[in-house]
Amino acid sequence: MTYQSQSVAKPYFIVAIALFVGQILFGTILGLQYVIGDFLFPEIPFNVARMVHTNLLIVWLLFGFMGAAYYLIPEESETELFSPFLAILMFWIFAVAGVLTILGYLLVPYATLAELTMDDLFPTMGREFLEQPTITKIGIVIVALSFLFNIGMTMLKGRKTAVSLVLMIGLTGLAVFFLFAFYVPENLVKDKFYWWFVVHLWVEGVWELIMGAILAFVLIKTTGVDREVIEKWLYVIIAMSLITGLIGTGHHFYWIGTPEYWQWWGSIFSAMEPIPFFMMTIFAFNMVNRRRRNHPNQAAVLWALGTAVMAFLGAGVWGFLHTLAPVNYFTHGTQITAAHGHMAFYGAYVMIVLTMISYSMPMLNGRKEANSNKSQIVEMWSFWIMTVSMVFITLFLTGAGILQTYMQRYTDTPISFMEVQDKVAIFYWLREGAGIFFLIGLIVYVASFFIGGDEPEATVKDAA
Amino acid sequence: MYKFIGVRPCTFVYILLMVLTVFTWYVGVSGLSGLSFAFLVLGLSLLKGHLIGDYYMGLKTVSGIWGWVIVIWLILPGSLIAIAFYSAS
Amino acid sequence: MKNRNTPPGDLAIWIFIMAELSVFAIFFAVYAFTRANNVELFNESQLTLDRNLALINTLTLITSSYFVVRAVAAIRENNAKHCFNWIIAALLMGLLFLLVKSYEYNHHYSEGINLRTNKFYMFYFSLTFFHFMHVLMGMVILAANAIKTRAGNYTPENHTGLETGASYWHMVDMVWIILFPLIYVMR
Repeated sequence: MTYQSQSVAKPYFIVAIALFVGQILFGTILGLQYVIGDFLFPEIPFNVARMVHTNLLIVWLLFGFMGAAYYLIPEESETELFSPFLAILMFWIFAVAGVLTILGYLLVPYATLAELTMDDLFPTMGREFLEQPTITKIGIVIVALSFLFNIGMTMLKGRKTAVSLVLMIGLTGLAVFFLFAFYVPENLVKDKFYWWFVVHLWVEGVWELIMGAILAFVLIKTTGVDREVIEKWLYVIIAMSLITGLIGTGHHFYWIGTPEYWQWWGSIFSAMEPIPFFMMTIFAFNMVNRRRRNHPNQAAVLWALGTAVMAFLGAGVWGFLHTLAPVNYFTHGTQITAAHGHMAFYGAYVMIVLTMISYSMPMLNGRKEANSNKSQIVEMWSFWIMTVSMVFITLFLTGAGILQTYMQRYTDTPISFMEVQDKVAIFYWLREGAGIFFLIGLIVYVASFFIGGDEPEATVKDAA
Repeated sequence: MYKFIGVRPCTFVYILLMVLTVFTWYVGVSGLSGLSFAFLVLGLSLLKGHLIGDYYMGLKTVSGIWGWVIVIWLILPGSLIAIAFYSAS
Repeated sequence: MKNRNTPPGDLAIWIFIMAELSVFAIFFAVYAFTRANNVELFNESQLTLDRNLALINTLTLITSSYFVVRAVAAIRENNAKHCFNWIIAALLMGLLFLLVKSYEYNHHYSEGINLRTNKFYMFYFSLTFFHFMHVLMGMVILAANAIKTRAGNYTPENHTGLETGASYWHMVDMVWIILFPLIYVMR
């Protein structure tokens, strides 16, 4: 760790992992509720568990992005962070606000939460993924702005690189698009239209820039390939992300009451959204092949390569499967969507955060470049268990989704939603099984931070 | 460092491109329809694209796959367009 | 005579060029196949387009591309001044294209025809607008090239930036060359 202030990343990463564990615990609850409907009812009804699961995901990824930035920007800029104090202050504000919000979801009925938080003064509650009380949302904006200020000031006083620039653009875009969460039109069509300005333009827009920048950073550090080469690839990749993803937003505007041309624009542009992910895969493997050194942190390299592959599969391929309007007409809102959503989020964003943590945590813990061999092996086991589990979760949900689409919509003799759910229940049981394995993988992952701490650091000779 | 003497190849190409364009326009304003004219006009546009690729973009002097990318690009959508128009007739 | 194995200009722009070309190619193909299912509608609506203006636009773009070729040739012959002039001429042609296209759009709008009128117009407006934006972007790049030429940044041995901008501009021209017959003429 070259700069002392990079250490502020550590609490962000720790809380990120903790919230990740919470997310998955609730995920397993949800999975069981799919097949045992009143499991934990009325204490934790399905809709509450779902809010907790999705909100925890988003918040822990945000903690992860911020930690990544706090680690990466000082190193790229070759200067200490502008204000470590501000970073820690924001950490506590975000963490407390986040915990209180989740407790709010769990402990009181949602309507009561709205009353308690005076949502009626400026209503923004009640929308998927944006269930947070307005005051929490305001808190998020304050935390985000302080964060951007801190990072921005750091960049201004130091060296500017393509990596830090792209990361900054992505993070700024993240903050700007979040503002649409405050715009809640009366008209239902407009409501849905603008909702996607947060969600799509995040995960199929600026978050791809964040992912690309972090991936480029880790590849520069672990392969020793020329910065210029890696940065050029990064620019091309993000250009493709924006070209395809911006108008590609239209693939969410097929059936919500917007004009028909969105079915064309959305299909044509979003069909190409896999391209940047494909390029990231080629990019990652190519850079590792051309490496000038064998880095002792083989776990980080594994995470980096895995991220590119899983992101391509989950976001790219599975996304493509249901992105064309004529297909989406039948699959919209089915388990196909859930399949894609899980693998995409895991492959792209969960994994890139875990990649960054894998790379940087050893140094944050005082190591020179990597954890011990033992620790890395445990970590790599967790990589495989979680990743393979996710693949199975996705496959099972895809199976459920195909059957659901056919039986409920495509066939000449459709049957009702609930009847279909009964028929695909087997897939839900299998999914839950895979989900348990995922949880096990996560436990192994957490364990890897506590195993092999006393052993000597891995060296290049130990590496493959 | 030298001064070019004579008419440049790119100028010849330019004149050819203009002529082909005017011909296409003529087909258009005359209202000439039907598969043969459609294919003729399509074919000419692909030729024009090829000329631009080779002479304007300078791909004529490029060996390997990069020398062929424009040709490939012209053939692929060109074929699809041809198939579509054929199936429409 | 082949004397290089990468195209002129930065390789990154070529990746970008191929990506853009792919988007247009898909759009063209989708247009053609949609037309196959709506032949009469497409034929009928196509008649309302102004082929004369389109001719002017096509000739304009081809001419501007030619000017760009001359600009690159000029810098290779160590004549930065001529190079700059050729680029300006190309930009003026580009501007002419934008003006003619805007006039065309205005004409349609004043008759109440827009993106939502029917499938043909949806494609017409989408494709030509999308292309319009690329002409704009190409002009911005060429303008940057012009400034750098004026500042003496390019030499006969090293003018990659200019070749990069030129390549992008030729792509923009090439797209229109396919677009013109496809949308305005083929029936």
